[in-house]
Amino acid sequence: MSSGNLFKATVNEYLEGLPRNVQSKLYEAPATCLSIFRLLPPMAKFYIMSMLFNEQSVALRDLDRWCKPSAKKLQYESLKRLKSLHLIEDDKLANHIQLNKTFRQNFRDCLTGSQDSNAFGTLCVAVDKHKVDIAFLDTFASSKWETILHFMVGTESTATPSKSVLSLLRSGGLMEGHASSLKITNTGFQFLLQDVNVQIWTLLLQYLNLTQELNMDPVDVLNFLFMLGSLELGKSYMVSSLSATQVSMLADLRDYGLVYQRSDSSGRFYPTRLATTLTSDSAALKTPSMALEQTLQTTDENDNPQPTEAPSSSQGSIIVETNFKIYSYSNSPLEIAILNLFVHLRTRFANMVCGQITRESIRKALYNGITADQIIKFLETHAHPQMQLLAKEKLDKKIEFDASHNINTAGGAPQSKGSDSNVQQHKLEILPPNIVDQIKLWQLELDRIQTFDGYLFKDFSTQQEFEILSNYASEVGVLIWSDKTKKKFFITEGGLDQVKNYANRKFK
Amino acid sequence: MLRASRGVLVQCDPSIRALILQIDNERPGIVLEELDDSHLLIKQDKIDVVKDELNKLLSKNIYNPFEEE
Repeated sequence: MSSGNLFKATVNEYLEGLPRNVQSKLYEAPATCLSIFRLLPPMAKFYIMSMLFNEQSVALRDLDRWCKPSAKKLQYESLKRLKSLHLIEDDKLANHIQLNKTFRQNFRDCLTGSQDSNAFGTLCVAVDKHKVDIAFLDTFASSKWETILHFMVGTESTATPSKSVLSLLRSGGLMEGHASSLKITNTGFQFLLQDVNVQIWTLLLQYLNLTQELNMDPVDVLNFLFMLGSLELGKSYMVSSLSATQVSMLADLRDYGLVYQRSDSSGRFYPTRLATTLTSDSAALKTPSMALEQTLQTTDENDNPQPTEAPSSSQGSIIVETNFKIYSYSNSPLEIAILNLFVHLRTRFANMVCGQITRESIRKALYNGITADQIIKFLETHAHPQMQLLAKEKLDKKIEFDASHNINTAGGAPQSKGSDSNVQQHKLEILPPNIVDQIKLWQLELDRIQTFDGYLFKDFSTQQEFEILSNYASEVGVLIWSDKTKKKFFITEGGLDQVKNYANRKFK
Repeated sequence: MLRASRGVLVQCDPSIRALILQIDNERPGIVLEELDDSHLLIKQDKIDVVKDELNKLLSKNIYNPFEEE
């Protein structure tokens, strides 16, 4: 769903939105060059790599030859990204491009290992008297991060995060209200369901905005963040090699669990997994798992810091009936808060809550960007053991029935429609199938109309003219709909200028 | 002569298309062009009206378990 993208790709957008002189200052740091490179899509990486050691500028025509005609759209997007980052520049020669000089130099240095020895932080050579291992860092990072998340959903008995975190949450619109009675917002809920990496970046970008108000140099701040992304987990680094701005950031980053420092005056800091995975695709503390499931599972993955919470989630507690009623034997406020996202909760008892799934409650969740699959997955993974037992019994019976009658009834089951295998297999149906189908139907109902803003091209004088233009539009990826016989096609709003220019060049 | 006109492309199934055309019948000036079985071109500022009306029409037939209690 589109609203799910609310937090995605924000780092890239932020970088693209920076003024050009700030960008070029950023490219002076090798660690930043490497991180930015890591954030690019594969095609853009390929272009950079092929131009990196090439002193000459490259003709745009050659770029076209490097990729298949079918990949025009990808190429167009990659070039657009590179241009807005000012990584590639137009050469004096028309239709030639070349890599940004500063970036080229520093990225080369960083690949060939000839960069400034300080570029990726300075390792502490002396042995730490209070040495910490990776497991400790992981626990530290997740407990810090969990504190923030738990605070957001209002889990009782969790510590309140530090002031700087609170002001971030507020300025990011994730929570609202006064300091004593902060409430989570809609955006905040969305935020909770994101992958950790996305969550961190969301907060860090907020942080960047704040630092600008505090007159901290954004280049310094960004460089530090990107450098953190290139450090090695489990090693300690010297505080003394950092700039004054960066040292002052350490305290904040410690609050988010990105770095560990034993005390304020300690001369060394350890990056945690949250920091070292900032710019990589590999998973942070948790895999980019399904959002709902993830928020809850974090409690049992890290059951050391909060042992009281673990039992409810490691063992399912939810019972779903065929009449859309839901019972959850859980005391975890986090779980109840999540249920409240898509269930109409009606009564709460000492050890359970009950509620009902309604069209409205599911629609509310869907509007908030949660998908039907997420809801189903969540209910399945947290189903009460009794439900799983029942489902297994049913499955065994079905298989036995099939075997004794030598037939296969699974083919008719609505659940197994999509299965590719010729021999239909029975699936374990933990949730009542009618509930699963209905939730999916409700989602489909929302998607019944799709709208696109844009322009309709019509009244072409010749078929050829139509084809030239519509082919071009589909090549650059702005075509949404076309009809050959009626000689009409529809393009996105952003594509108008391009198609218009092309038409003017071609036909006049 | 080639022309480009601004609008919102609506992609939907034929049943919804019929509903939109019905709405257009009642308050003309919404649909600019009928493109094919599943596409309509709609005036840009009317898209919210269409969505509202559609919602109303569609939720007529929904059972709400809380209403009878």
